[in-house]
Amino acid sequence: MHNTTLPIGPQHPSIKEPMCLRIRLDGNNIENADLRLGYVHRGVEKILEGKQVDSALYVAERICGICEVSHTAAYLSAVESAMNISINDKVKYLRTFLIELERLHSHLMWSGFLAHEIGYETLFMYSWRERERILEIFDKYTGGRVHHNVSKIGSNKYDLPENSKKFIFDRLDAVAKHAEKYRREFEKDNIIKARLENVGVIPEKEAKRYCLVGPIARASGYKVDVRKDNPYFAFDQVDFNVITRNEGDAWARTLVRMDEIQESVNIIKQLINNMPNEKLPKPELHMNASGEAVGHVEAPRGENFYYVKINSGYLERAKIRTPTLNNIIILEKILKGYELGDVPVIVGSLDPCFGCLERIMVAKDKKIEEHDEDSFRKKYCEIQKPEVSYD
Amino acid sequence: MDYIKKSPWICVYNAGSCNGCDLEVLALLNPKYDIERFGCELKASPRHADILLVTGIGSKQNQKRLKLVYEQMASKKKVIAVGSCAISGGPFREGWVFTEPVDRIIPVDMYVPGCPPRPEAIIDALIKVLEELDGDKKDKPKQTRRRSKKAKK
Repeated sequence: MHNTTLPIGPQHPSIKEPMCLRIRLDGNNIENADLRLGYVHRGVEKILEGKQVDSALYVAERICGICEVSHTAAYLSAVESAMNISINDKVKYLRTFLIELERLHSHLMWSGFLAHEIGYETLFMYSWRERERILEIFDKYTGGRVHHNVSKIGSNKYDLPENSKKFIFDRLDAVAKHAEKYRREFEKDNIIKARLENVGVIPEKEAKRYCLVGPIARASGYKVDVRKDNPYFAFDQVDFNVITRNEGDAWARTLVRMDEIQESVNIIKQLINNMPNEKLPKPELHMNASGEAVGHVEAPRGENFYYVKINSGYLERAKIRTPTLNNIIILEKILKGYELGDVPVIVGSLDPCFGCLERIMVAKDKKIEEHDEDSFRKKYCEIQKPEVSYD
Repeated sequence: MDYIKKSPWICVYNAGSCNGCDLEVLALLNPKYDIERFGCELKASPRHADILLVTGIGSKQNQKRLKLVYEQMASKKKVIAVGSCAISGGPFREGWVFTEPVDRIIPVDMYVPGCPPRPEAIIDALIKVLEELDGDKKDKPKQTRRRSKKAKK
């Protein structure tokens, strides 16, 4: 058997976002994997520095297109606790409503994506059809399908439109009914099971060692959820279960996400039934506040963490840690020992979101070096052979 | 739709976007928008594609790869820049990664503004490009001109 190195990406069918995965193969088995990122880097933390607090919100919303609301919510909770701004119940409920809708659309999108990876095109179409129903609710409330721009510091731009309860409940019921059907398909179908079971297994011990977050940690039996551990916004006023499984393979990760869809539907129904009748405060500009604080939010993929330092109304520093950063590190480890055909399933089951992840800028010896792809590889990516002495 | 004769295939390249535009491009596949009724299909390899959809700011890391993807496509190719990031850099044009918009890196035929543009807007751009790509002008539906009142008399 001869060894080959196979580059996957950055432009590749099984990866929805650009990343470069180099796989050392021994025949058909994976010996080693090397992940190279940096294709979606936009320098967001640097852009945020020196911006006025209210206008920085516009950039924070655009860090990611999938988990847009949770970026906004984490930024707002950090900024509001730094400035000691308290928000009323109505704003809390509306933000929680948006966060849960986002979890629904992200999980439905992901389940379709995984079905596409396996080659089950019909399930892909069905899942994306259900996702459109969620986007219709977003569209009705905020006027945008992907980016919403409704949150403000201390307030919200709009209230829910009148008589929208039936509109929302109809769509949620349809989604819950169909998602249950697709869950049964993932659980019972023999072909799907053969592709997913015992693939990319992460034991609970490893999940704790690598500090995994979100559905991936929960599928390994590690019960971690910011919504329960440190309730923010209106999560202390709703009933829901944190779903865990003990298998730790790609199949368990799928089922955890499919069960979370049902939980999110229940949370949204409770929120709309108990929506308080308060008036939204008028949004204001915050020119003379300072302080530093952290905020964290459970995004669809796990904990989203923000640190902000504000100096007289302007951001001095913003540090963002997204769930994909925690989860992607284990990829190289769990790929080892599986076959080449399992790569799309393992990468897909981790649900990476590189739009969120890539904000890392390397400055060495107080100098910023500019590289293109080849020169960077020459300087940093070649493995230096250790010097061996025989004496 | 008679003037669309061939079925052009589409390739998407993410040149440093926030995923928003990519999601809206992928949403074209789903049963609600369904671009396969125009004969379009999303293809992974640029060698199979006739139309290239570019999203994102075209950051430094991506520029070489974007040129490569463009050169790999067969001739008579069209490029659509999707989203305000691809047109001007959008909210990230202040960043140190952004040097020049996508149309300075590769030639662009059509622009779709919006953050992100709606799927309807992308379909509209696609059909306009399709007309240029393979439609004969003779086959185009005749545009009925309004007659002025003087001409009627």
